[in-house]
Amino acid sequence: MNSTPAITADLAARVAQWPFRSVLIANRGEIALRILRTVQKLGLEGIVVYHQADRAAPAVRAADRAIEITGSTPVAAYLDAAQILAAAKTSGAGAIHPGYGFLSENAGFARAVADAGLAFVGPTPQQIELMGDKVRARAFVEQGGFPVAPSAIEDDDPKTFVERARHVSLPLLIKPAAGGGGKGMRIVRDLAVLEAEIERARSEGQRYFGDGRLYVERYIENPRHIEVQVLGDAHGNVVHLFERECSVQRRFQKIVEETPSPALTAELRARICETAAGIARAAGYRNAGTVEFIFGQEGEFYFLEMNTRLQVEHPVTEEITGKDLVFEQLRVAAGEALGYSQNDIVASGHAIEFRVYAEDPARGYTPTTGPVLMLREATGPGVRVDSGIAQGQDVTAAFDPMLAKLIVFGRDRSEAIARADKALAETVLLGCQTNIAFLRRLLNHPAFVAGQVHTGFLDAHPEIAAEPALDQNKLQRLLAAAALSVRPLRDAADAVPAMHAAIGGWRN
Amino acid sequence: MHHAFKLGEAEYELELSRGSAGYRLHFDGATVAVDLAAVPGDGTVLITHGVSEPVFIATRGDAVFVHLDGAAYQLAYEHPLDRLAQQSQGAAADAVRAPMPGSVISVLVQAGQTVTRGETLLVMESMKMETTITAPRDGVIEAVHFATGQTFDRDALLLNLQLEKST
Repeated sequence: MNSTPAITADLAARVAQWPFRSVLIANRGEIALRILRTVQKLGLEGIVVYHQADRAAPAVRAADRAIEITGSTPVAAYLDAAQILAAAKTSGAGAIHPGYGFLSENAGFARAVADAGLAFVGPTPQQIELMGDKVRARAFVEQGGFPVAPSAIEDDDPKTFVERARHVSLPLLIKPAAGGGGKGMRIVRDLAVLEAEIERARSEGQRYFGDGRLYVERYIENPRHIEVQVLGDAHGNVVHLFERECSVQRRFQKIVEETPSPALTAELRARICETAAGIARAAGYRNAGTVEFIFGQEGEFYFLEMNTRLQVEHPVTEEITGKDLVFEQLRVAAGEALGYSQNDIVASGHAIEFRVYAEDPARGYTPTTGPVLMLREATGPGVRVDSGIAQGQDVTAAFDPMLAKLIVFGRDRSEAIARADKALAETVLLGCQTNIAFLRRLLNHPAFVAGQVHTGFLDAHPEIAAEPALDQNKLQRLLAAAALSVRPLRDAADAVPAMHAAIGGWRN
Repeated sequence: MHHAFKLGEAEYELELSRGSAGYRLHFDGATVAVDLAAVPGDGTVLITHGVSEPVFIATRGDAVFVHLDGAAYQLAYEHPLDRLAQQSQGAAADAVRAPMPGSVISVLVQAGQTVTRGETLLVMESMKMETTITAPRDGVIEAVHFATGQTFDRDALLLNLQLEKST
């Protein structure tokens, strides 16, 4: 499905009324190129900033203007708000799109962009601050009557903490208030050990974060991660664009995302999507955003957090709804009203995104590096590639290891899976090891085919990450291809004419 | 036989010779007629046992990257002289290599220092996680090749231990 809007005379006239004629993209890689595509299609000027390490990147070549930024590290350059604002000023940019990561959820940056008289393609600074503070966001959602996991927060009243924790139903998860990344978390399945585990978690929190404060929440066994795309304008209109299932993760990072979720009935889908839209509405949310939920095996779901930006996995939503989310973000930033209601948003088909990472799944998903010596992207019906790399570029350890995203669309899930398998097999990337072969093993795994995944799925099935043994025939063909490509071996063979070689010792 | 390729952790010895048409691969006791041929466009086909299939190949130094049958593989050509040298030294435990790309957070040892097996030599950072690099055996540090703040690729030589004196 092509979600990029057709440029009608009507649309061109509307865009001509927007308060900006050019958009600076404060990002890199595939998302910079993705945003640029819509910006340029609308007839706006697309400007990118780039660190020297990205000078050969496709976005830099495709941009109408590219401005170099510097930093103590390449990542530091993209986090340097003052330098990016200076680039916006020199280039005369009228708006800044932050993409995802980097400065996208930095309220100070959003404020500085507005203070400089530019449009920030994102929410208000207050909305970023509210959702960026996990404890405040959780309290806000709970006050609105939306579901959060049953919990006891020590700070509410330290004296009664243990007593309140006892009343949260088992199993429990103890978390450090200042924590992150899974450190210092403890699961309790028996109330007899609750106090001892609280003391242990406290000393771990103290050691890892210098802060022993805790909270306890209901632990969801083998949960799914389901999130809902929402969209709000500056006039109080909010809609949702259905859910995305992102349960296949490694090291708390998503690898595969799809929509619709295989776990939801029509009734549950309506409930979770309405809940997300309700939360966004309560916040008066402006911009594209994502409300994330933890989803239990009994169909119960709880608010996890809200991301106030464009999400990596936004393309699957675009594929099933036909909405270009970057276009919607730009319209909202320009002050337009959405101009449609919930009933006007219709989804059809099934879309899956696969993240192509420069990493070695068999070695604990550790990052890999190397030059992109050869690159052939997949094509075909229902196949979309959002890529940030080009042949001749170097993959370095300087940035996140995500290189590209393969997005497939099919009439149903099995057609999407079949198209994905073919497209991944056709994707050629030589010079830097990637997770492509792993992605094919994953999508052919019976549990994935059946849609039975949860966030611990890859840990429960280590055989998917393991390098499979090569059969003798494949090995022979690989060695033949390699031997015929290496000069010393060719030269040695060519030095002995075939007839002499036949008399030599190689008969078996 | 003295030519070999490394694929993963395994090493495969093989030989190539001319055939009546194309080449012959001698591997693991078998001889197979093989050849590479260009096809119109920018493709290449690999012919083994008279069967053709599309293949993509890229080389860089001794590394050979092959995309075959829907998956990519990396092979490394091993020079006969290097292999000889390696066999005579048995040097694996003397070289401390990077398990993944990253940067150096701190170096805890210097050349000439005596270390014991398991002692922390260097702390590195990768994927926002710290990893400690420890001594593979008792010995004396011969050289430290990276300083704090420097970045390196996977398998980069971080430190050397002095060669073991033969007993």
